[in-house]
Amino acid sequence: MMEALSMDKRIKWPLIGLCLMGVFAVNLTVSAFAAEEAKITALNPLGQPPPIALVPMAPRLDTLDGKTIYIVDIGFTDTHQFLEEMQKLLAERYPKANWIVKNKIGTYFEDDPKLWAEIKAKGGAMIMAIGH
Amino acid sequence: MMFQELVKTYAYKKGMPNERFTFVPHPITGQAASVCRKYLEGNDPITGKPVLQEIVEAITKPLTPEEKKMGFLARPVERLLKPDTPDNLQRFFTENGWTDGLPIVLPTEERVAEMLKGTSHKADEVVGTMQPSSPHEPWSYTVEKVAVNAVMAGAKPEYFPVILALASTGVPSLFTSTTSFARMVVVNGPISGQIKMNTGIGALGPFNQANATIGRAWTLMSKNLDGGGKIGQTYMGSQGNNLNYNNVCFAEREDRLPPGWKPFHVQKGFKPGESVVSVFTGWSLIRADTSLAQQLHVQMPFWLSGFTPYQGASLFLDPLIADQLIGEGFDTKEKLIQWLYDNTKTTAGDYWGNYFHIANFVLPNAKKGDEPFASWLKLPKDAPMPRFADLDRISIFVVGGETNLFWQAGDFRYIASASVDKWK
Repeated sequence: MMEALSMDKRIKWPLIGLCLMGVFAVNLTVSAFAAEEAKITALNPLGQPPPIALVPMAPRLDTLDGKTIYIVDIGFTDTHQFLEEMQKLLAERYPKANWIVKNKIGTYFEDDPKLWAEIKAKGGAMIMAIGH
Repeated sequence: MMFQELVKTYAYKKGMPNERFTFVPHPITGQAASVCRKYLEGNDPITGKPVLQEIVEAITKPLTPEEKKMGFLARPVERLLKPDTPDNLQRFFTENGWTDGLPIVLPTEERVAEMLKGTSHKADEVVGTMQPSSPHEPWSYTVEKVAVNAVMAGAKPEYFPVILALASTGVPSLFTSTTSFARMVVVNGPISGQIKMNTGIGALGPFNQANATIGRAWTLMSKNLDGGGKIGQTYMGSQGNNLNYNNVCFAEREDRLPPGWKPFHVQKGFKPGESVVSVFTGWSLIRADTSLAQQLHVQMPFWLSGFTPYQGASLFLDPLIADQLIGEGFDTKEKLIQWLYDNTKTTAGDYWGNYFHIANFVLPNAKKGDEPFASWLKLPKDAPMPRFADLDRISIFVVGGETNLFWQAGDFRYIASASVDKWK
């Protein structure tokens, strides 16, 4: 009888341990399953932006001497005064270059192909500025 | 500093990610020439380098290999987001700037499919393009994308044709300007009754799902369908505008228009039986505290004279006010509009001297010869002139629940209309 009880103990506790582990494993699976189930899929609300066409920068001047640099005023309130001061200072510090302030036509949203053509033909560089 | 992000992202989108730029302290507007000089002799507040040195280096320093690059950058947008819990998705949407700060209805495939039942148009049909303002890049969007944003707003499928019509205008409700624009949407025609929009008591307030969610959907579309509403990049409104939450979304109360007064959409050439959305741009609303001791129309120019002449005037008249105006001899909206145009005046000195938008957007065109502005520019300073540039700038709506004789107005100018029926 004692021997039988011992045998039972040898089997019983490991069996109980195995059962407990089984219950624990089932609980883990249920929890994991519940967590997985709680995830949902939503659609992206964003529209489609156009592809970007890279524009290589224009070559830079190797010297300012003898060059005409356009300073373009796009027309925002008080920009002109700011650019006049810029023109004066640049002319003082770099007198061998010719610094010109020019107004773009229309509002600051408008294109000015005539001015761009003039700058391409006569200018070495362009600075465009907004005084906000 | 606040413009650095805008300049960088804008240059990037224009294909010039390496554009060379220099900053001076802000603002320039309103500063004396001596201050401008001081800024220019000082340092760039972002880089710390001398401003003039930076300017000269920008035009003389040789290009790097990166600056010489050509080619295309595609920017594909995934249709589905990575699966996650609802709470995490709410956070994700908010942190990405895809909401108006309020919780949204998550746009699951099931909900979007349900919304798509509100239209006969296919999910992959391109509705149009939209851009935060004209210098910014236009983005395109499909019926499905509009449905996603409509679900987010909490709209029902029966509202979807109205929301599609709004999307089809290509007009964003969020505009980039530092001036903090607002927009307005007005619904006309049978659809407003079919989807039970509120045109009575509280029509302009938060009392109805259709009014609330259609207006909200426009805000969400303006953030998501065109890359708008990104603070510092595509939204620069210095103070913002509280009207952006709902965009003054309402339906005109057509059943209480006095005889002879046409619904707004009919004034714009649509048939009475057509359903239409109309969109407007402006900034603000006022409530006119008018006296009943005098004729109503006589008091109106006073209340409208606080509006900038750059935009227009939209009047929201309770039906009782409209009835009163009939008694004062205005048996059509057009007669009232003409009277208001003729009698809401300013002086040439005020018009050309006192308004930021007139100086920046009208004066250059006046100098180019555009009329009537070119002629108005020649007027002496004390010469009276109409406050609003033309009759189309004044719009009249009847809306409200007849609990009292009140009216409101906004500095809103008409932009465009679109058919709702087309999107059913």
